[in-house]
Amino acid sequence: MTQVILFNLLNGLIVGAFYALMALGLSLILNLSGVINFAHGGFLALGAYLAYSLMPTIGFWGALLLAPILTAFLGLAVERLLIRRLYGRDPLYSLLLTFGLAFIFQDGLRYVWGAQSVPYQIPGWLASPLSMDYFFLTGYRVFMMIVVALAVAGLFLVLGYTRLGMRIRAGTLDLDTVSVLGVNVRVLRNLNFGLGIYLAGLAGVLAAGMLGLSPTIGDQLIMPSFVAIIVGGLGSLPGTLVGGLLIGVAAGMTTVFFPTATEAVIYVMMALVLIVKPSGLFGDEGRLR
Amino acid sequence: MTTLKVEGLNTFYGKSHILHDVGLEVREGEIVALLGRNGAGKTTTLRSIVGLTPARSGSVHIFDTATTDFPSYRIAALGVGYVPEGRRVFPNLTVEENLLVPLERPGPWTLKRVYELFPRLAERKSNKGQQLSGGEQEMLAIGRALLLNPKLLLLDEPSQGLAPLIVRSVFEVVASMRAEGISVLLVEQNVRAAVEIADRVYVLDNGRVVHEGAAAAFAADEERVRELAGAKADAFDEFD
Repeated sequence: MTQVILFNLLNGLIVGAFYALMALGLSLILNLSGVINFAHGGFLALGAYLAYSLMPTIGFWGALLLAPILTAFLGLAVERLLIRRLYGRDPLYSLLLTFGLAFIFQDGLRYVWGAQSVPYQIPGWLASPLSMDYFFLTGYRVFMMIVVALAVAGLFLVLGYTRLGMRIRAGTLDLDTVSVLGVNVRVLRNLNFGLGIYLAGLAGVLAAGMLGLSPTIGDQLIMPSFVAIIVGGLGSLPGTLVGGLLIGVAAGMTTVFFPTATEAVIYVMMALVLIVKPSGLFGDEGRLR
Repeated sequence: MTTLKVEGLNTFYGKSHILHDVGLEVREGEIVALLGRNGAGKTTTLRSIVGLTPARSGSVHIFDTATTDFPSYRIAALGVGYVPEGRRVFPNLTVEENLLVPLERPGPWTLKRVYELFPRLAERKSNKGQQLSGGEQEMLAIGRALLLNPKLLLLDEPSQGLAPLIVRSVFEVVASMRAEGISVLLVEQNVRAAVEIADRVYVLDNGRVVHEGAAAAFAADEERVRELAGAKADAFDEFD
């Protein structure tokens, strides 16, 4: 029993870490630009497929490094060419745009790489268990946790200690004032979008090694990521992080005790949070906005 | 070179016509006060100049560049500092972080110099913007605008809500901008304090310039000063 609990706890943490990585990117974009990016799952899938295609040439490590960056560049282009035009309009416009983009991504991926899942290779030594007693504790799972932790730490360092980060945080509350201080807010929003998409691409490269890779890989992650944002509290990035891990672990634990409710539990949690504390766990304080 | 030249400005909020053919000028090294009752269009004039509420017609030239259709950040990048109404300090950032937001234009103003000018800010540099008093917020908003190294500074009601003693020290700082080679356009309700440091004044009423002239002559016209200064208490407006 201990093994089953530990297994699902670890699983929940890892899945939660993906939710968090994805949700942090979504939050960044939502906070600064007011855009709910439904195409986020598409970017995640694209990151994974790029890694898949790059791996034979530059290996797993090269792909891990390069694929999220390429994805981020595509994100910069999409923001520059499409999303930017809709700033200042009713949020419905950008919602429809990113919703449409999500479908275009999915069909595009099907067209290029096929509808079936593709074999996604991770280094053999990472795939093997670290211990015979805890067979599920593979090197890859530990590795994913470390990379996600580094990425999150890196994000918070950028936001907390660089001018870019300060401008992003200032802009989430008052973009006009950032602009009258001479900061090119178009570039700021563009870079911020790219940063969010980088996180999605990274999540994709990592997740494909655990969940397998098919064009719909983003679908199973995007709704829980929105839930993570709401549970953690809109506008609070630390909240988003905690929210992601929390619903991941909750789903993992539910698998042990009440398997059929695994999918539902995160929505129940969201409903509970909305009833008890509508601003989310960290909605009003503890924010790094 | 003209520092700021505004001609025939007409600005609307939705269908409300706020500014009617507003024209004004700030020459190099001048401190110009823009006076008027609440709702006269003073804030709107500044917002139109910095590109936050673009004018529907008319023109704005800053340092001989036509900036009428520029976005705010391009106008600021020319060297235009703006201290908005209500300070608009970033509440979620520390004092020091607030000071690091502006574009890094080269010039004499550094973090160190701003802290020398406002030692209070140095003491509170790790405090969040939302923890500051009104006077400290005003200092922060001015310091933040100075770090852009502006050649033209626009201030919107720096005295608003401040104790008389603090108003005095804020105005001393504004007056000292002349020696820094910074031209100033000052919007104020506190007419007496404003005319004391200004070279020239413009008076706005109902979105129109109704008076322009030397500050000294205006200050000597006690009736006129009293009319404007006295309007403060019962004034009310939804725009400014």
